[in-house]
Amino acid sequence: MHELVEKILRQVRSGPPNILKALLALQQQVGHVPVEAIPDIAHNLGTTNAHIAGVLSYYPDLRVAAPGRHVIRVCMGESCYANGCGRVLRVLQDSLRTDVGETTSGGKFTLDTMSCAGNCAVSPTVLIDRDLYGRVLPSQVETMLGRYR
Amino acid sequence: MSSATRLYLSNDTSARAAGAGLLADAWADRPDVQLIRLSSRGAFFLEPMVERDSPDGRLAWCNVQPEDLPSILAGTGGTPVRSIPFLANQTRFTFADFGETEPLALDEYQARGGLKGLEQAFRLTPDAIVEELRVSQLRGRGGAAFPVWNKWKVAQQAKGRPKSVVANADEGDAGTYCDRMILEGDPFRLLEGMLICARAIGASRGYVYCRQEYPAAAVTLRAAIQKADEAELLDIDGEPFPIEVVEGAGSYVCGEETALLESLEGKRGVVRARPPYPAQAGLYGQPTIVSNVLTFATIPQILSRGGAWHASLGTEQSRGTIALQLGGRVKHPGLVEVPFGLSLRQVLEQFGGGMAPGSRFKAVQVGGPLGSLFPAAGLELPICYDAFAKAGAVLGHGGIVVYDHETDMVDLARHFMAFTADESCGKCTPCRIGSVRGREILERIQAGGGTLEDLALLDDLGETMKLASLCALGGRAPYPVLTAIEHFPVEFRSKLRT
Repeated sequence: MHELVEKILRQVRSGPPNILKALLALQQQVGHVPVEAIPDIAHNLGTTNAHIAGVLSYYPDLRVAAPGRHVIRVCMGESCYANGCGRVLRVLQDSLRTDVGETTSGGKFTLDTMSCAGNCAVSPTVLIDRDLYGRVLPSQVETMLGRYR
Repeated sequence: MSSATRLYLSNDTSARAAGAGLLADAWADRPDVQLIRLSSRGAFFLEPMVERDSPDGRLAWCNVQPEDLPSILAGTGGTPVRSIPFLANQTRFTFADFGETEPLALDEYQARGGLKGLEQAFRLTPDAIVEELRVSQLRGRGGAAFPVWNKWKVAQQAKGRPKSVVANADEGDAGTYCDRMILEGDPFRLLEGMLICARAIGASRGYVYCRQEYPAAAVTLRAAIQKADEAELLDIDGEPFPIEVVEGAGSYVCGEETALLESLEGKRGVVRARPPYPAQAGLYGQPTIVSNVLTFATIPQILSRGGAWHASLGTEQSRGTIALQLGGRVKHPGLVEVPFGLSLRQVLEQFGGGMAPGSRFKAVQVGGPLGSLFPAAGLELPICYDAFAKAGAVLGHGGIVVYDHETDMVDLARHFMAFTADESCGKCTPCRIGSVRGREILERIQAGGGTLEDLALLDDLGETMKLASLCALGGRAPYPVLTAIEHFPVEFRSKLRT
């Protein structure tokens, strides 16, 4: 891990150390930011463990554990709310037998929510990895999941 | 020689989510189709929309399925775009070219009048640029509606160096998507606005803080910056003006300007106490203009057409046009650019097309998750800053979400408070603790364990949050909750413990 952290952080080094950029770069290459790497990151950026841990725990998109192979995010924004995202989420929870923020046994899917995907005009919205689905009906969830199963 | 038919299809994220991507995949290998990917017109209820040229201008086929291709190629059943009322009745300036142009075609941008504002800015002195903005009476479109010229004047006169221009592309208000459309569909317009600002205040670096939820926007923007650089546009009076795209990490409050700056510096995106304002002491303590994407995109035409032109549109306190973004249970969700001053009812009926099939109107929320709710009786309110301020409401970033008869207002109020509790940065007590207590009270009412005192407590808590929070997140969070209680009291009372 030492060498990997050092190598990745060397690529993003700029003027004043930028903790968020460093953590995002690590997450992009490793998939998550392990808590054990905090001292290495702090050492590399010339700052304290507390500063790193503070930034790591602040941002919803920074993960300290590896997510499932596919990350499903259901948009909870107001337009999606008005168009029944709650029903879509329930169908997903039932189908995957998992709750929000959790990963299915076997590590295939992580189910999550998001506060707005900016896809409000074709809501409700479900994001699976980088694929954005609009006007999602609860009845379409199984077919949609089928592409990733 | 094969004669492939040129067909136009939007590459906008929402158009793709509605099926444009499916069409592109299905037709990719057709030798008789030449597919051109454009920005979206914003008539999302018609997406995926396929267009082709005709002697009468563009013809459109709406809500297209892959099997509709033969009739499109035969030219049967298309509608002239200019006869689509949703589009024809708008007054578009900033969004005039949407649906017409390829996002990354700089020559096309220029051929349609792009870069004229920047050329004018180079003919003017920095003072004269600010004066033009003063005359225009442009107010920030992100939500705070602060006069743009005033902010620029402060940054211009500030002593610190280097100065920065930051475009706030952290469009987090649920129900809004016009910045995403600009970032993906017309990125040079944003860059031009930023360059004009840099010239006016003497800035030497630019940033676009782009939310992580907009991956396509970041890609397009980076490509646009590279093209602008190759065309030697990122240069102000012989000095380089590099623009960097920085991605966020899912925090709503980072759309607040000081939290955004903290995040840009790589720290926790926590709100700073103001003053000093960013125009005086912003990024790394130096003078910084932070403005919303739509604000920057509005500026090129103010320079090219003149401030007086902009001031001639709209109402007394709200000059220019507003980009409204319709969502929720309206029949025609999409982007509507109109001069300020139409009533909510006019917008919902003329553009929104009324309610979605099977839905009856219950309430409309304007201004994102922190915006007030209006019942049917509130629909005569004109859409402008002063009328909204008088009604204790905000226009925010122009999001309009319509809720129908099936909406449980108590659950909706709980949803809003839970959102604030999740997103509060934790810096100030009223927001950090108030939002959690507010959510708990609403959960209690929803579960049937609430009392009349709980409603009074919510009111009291709301007033405290409004008055004592550091930024608009805590300060505005009570509005949707309290307006829900005000306009739908029976729903709340019926759930109380008797």
